[in-house]
Amino acid sequence: MNAEQKRAWFVLGVFGVCCIAYVVWGLILGFQGAWGAFGLFILTGFTCIFRQREKPDERDSMIQNRASMFAGLSSVCVFVFGCMGIWFVNFAVYQQEQVSIQLFARITLLGGIVFFLTHSLSILILYGRHAEHAEADDA
Amino acid sequence: MPEIGNCIRRLRFDHDEMTQEALAEKVGCTRQTIIALEAGKYTPSLALAFKLARAFGRKIEDVFQYEIPASREEGIQT
Repeated sequence: MNAEQKRAWFVLGVFGVCCIAYVVWGLILGFQGAWGAFGLFILTGFTCIFRQREKPDERDSMIQNRASMFAGLSSVCVFVFGCMGIWFVNFAVYQQEQVSIQLFARITLLGGIVFFLTHSLSILILYGRHAEHAEADDA
Repeated sequence: MPEIGNCIRRLRFDHDEMTQEALAEKVGCTRQTIIALEAGKYTPSLALAFKLARAFGRKIEDVFQYEIPASREEGIQT
């Protein structure tokens, strides 16, 4: 497993911690303020502890480019459709032209989380698992 | 799935049982890339393909084989 894969698993682990914290916070103090638990996502900044020993080769670069592309596309889709969807519902259903800043902040957070999750999942899927073809390293 | 096959694993063993790590270092890629190549999960760039062929002292056609799918071959013939 290389550094990119380790970073991807770390991000997924942090997201899992955020979800658990959200549920626990919500059950104890109520779900209204529980969104703050996703502030723990800042822990993804610690992915820098996973340093790549080797320079990335062509396959690493290709996988990173594709993962970034998928992550960017998905987060933009979530953000745009989220914003437009909420505006449409507000206008069509409630006849209001203004959207609450609270909702806008949540859509932005969701877009950011989708970016990191998609990037991590793409990295893991594109690298795949070929352990059966790996040989034991020489001593 | 890529249509390009290879016999990198066999050639490695024919060359004094070269390890994946040694081959990766020789051609300037990672061991994971060699593993993916041998598993048929990755098609290398032309540059990498030539480096691999030179590492074994062979022509590129001896290392990589292009397999035309049967359906596409019928389309070419007609």
